[in-house]
Amino acid sequence: MKEKEGFVDCPDQQMILYVEKDDGKYGPIQTGSYLTANYLDDFFLKKKNLESALRDQLIRGSISVVKYFMVLEDLTLSELAARAAIRKSRVKKHLDPSGFAEVTAAELSRYAGVFNVPLANLLQVVLIKNKEQFESAMILENRTDHLEVIQDQTENPYVVLTKISERT
Amino acid sequence: MTELDFKHKMAAHCESGTITSLLNFGGLDITEPLVFGISGGIFFGYFHKMKSFAFPTFIVRNKPGQMRVDIEKRLGVKFKTYAFKDPASGMTALDDLIDRKIPTACQVDFFYLDYVPSWERVHINVHFMVVVGRQGTRYLISDAYFPKMVELEATSLQKGRFAGGEMSPKGFLYHLDRIPTEIDMKKAVERGIRKACFNMLKIPIPFLGIRGMRMFSRKILEWPAIARDTEHLSHEIMKINILLEDQGTGGAGFRYIYATFLQQASEILNKSELRDLSAELMLIGDGWREISLFAARIGKNRDLGAEKLKQLGDMIRDRADVEENFFRKLSKTV
Repeated sequence: MKEKEGFVDCPDQQMILYVEKDDGKYGPIQTGSYLTANYLDDFFLKKKNLESALRDQLIRGSISVVKYFMVLEDLTLSELAARAAIRKSRVKKHLDPSGFAEVTAAELSRYAGVFNVPLANLLQVVLIKNKEQFESAMILENRTDHLEVIQDQTENPYVVLTKISERT
Repeated sequence: MTELDFKHKMAAHCESGTITSLLNFGGLDITEPLVFGISGGIFFGYFHKMKSFAFPTFIVRNKPGQMRVDIEKRLGVKFKTYAFKDPASGMTALDDLIDRKIPTACQVDFFYLDYVPSWERVHINVHFMVVVGRQGTRYLISDAYFPKMVELEATSLQKGRFAGGEMSPKGFLYHLDRIPTEIDMKKAVERGIRKACFNMLKIPIPFLGIRGMRMFSRKILEWPAIARDTEHLSHEIMKINILLEDQGTGGAGFRYIYATFLQQASEILNKSELRDLSAELMLIGDGWREISLFAARIGKNRDLGAEKLKQLGDMIRDRADVEENFFRKLSKTV
């Protein structure tokens, strides 16, 4: 690939591409991600639709919150079990709402650690009104115009402070 | 902040970039393509069913962690390595190394790195970066995927270093221990080329090397039956572009960086045929780039019928054919 063909204007995701320079030597240039520059909206659309579909199932009681996050974060049952250090058969139980009723606080804490979410969010879904509809705060990532949600872990591992404020 | 006199530099790939920057810091003038090529980094593997992957996937480089091992063997350099069971001990050991002004590479799960934009974050336990400073609970990081040094909270770093699952980092750290006074670069380059040719042509496993590419070209037709729905299939097809271009490959699934290695190798070994082969691989890489763009386009347009997937499969099979021919020629040069 020639140097001039390799440049993509995408400051949000920079990368190194090896190209043929004008003198015929191959070497690195700093450029941007073609996919991020052109298709990031499509990624967020799919993510939003997936979250919305999973949330519907969660609200209807057909899946547990463990399944909700496992699918959102593209983890398999085996991988989640290994990461949370919980037996695979037990994780399998926790994917179903009836089995989830048996989860312990310690196990919840481990799941929250793997999913990198506040423990409280394994028992609630935080939605924000955005353009006349409620959307997941996690998917919006605080990109709404007027509201901001900040969740802080406290020194008590089982208590999370959720702060909702108007954006200034 | 405890901060080392460490020159941050972006690199195509986290592992080859980390090794290169540590060797450069130690005084060895070596490029990333040479590190990649000497370690025999170029590869292909297709994984249709694995318990740790939620969907079929492929790799375009050798096993994570192997580059460091192979660079040690072929250049005679030594890295000191550490692994930990206890996160607290792992963090204390890292602090101690930084306080002793030793730039230290860490293996982490990419998902927990707060400075990475959300759309790039995936659970993958084999990201490498260099810790070069700390102040209180914040660490200064030289991550080859970012233009400038970044900072990371201790809690996030610890989560990343001690994530469980497949290829769990176990707090793994390494730093440069010594560089020999004399390095036989010619021999190292030749051994790297031989290893790459063996990996691509001779491993008798149907999903690895050139055979793996052919398997990929066939199995991609089964992807619609595995996907949850059209949007999931679109996402997975567009991930082909990510794996070939965005996930730290230097473009075209490492084919461009390997072409650069061969060009540099031709000067080291004084072999003009390697220069011709490097030009040939650059063109082969352009074909992989076409696959990336095609996958992104059909994924975005949800144009994912059997006809289009067959076309994609044919493009991959074509790469297998040209790369088989290429690596046979390359194997005869050393």
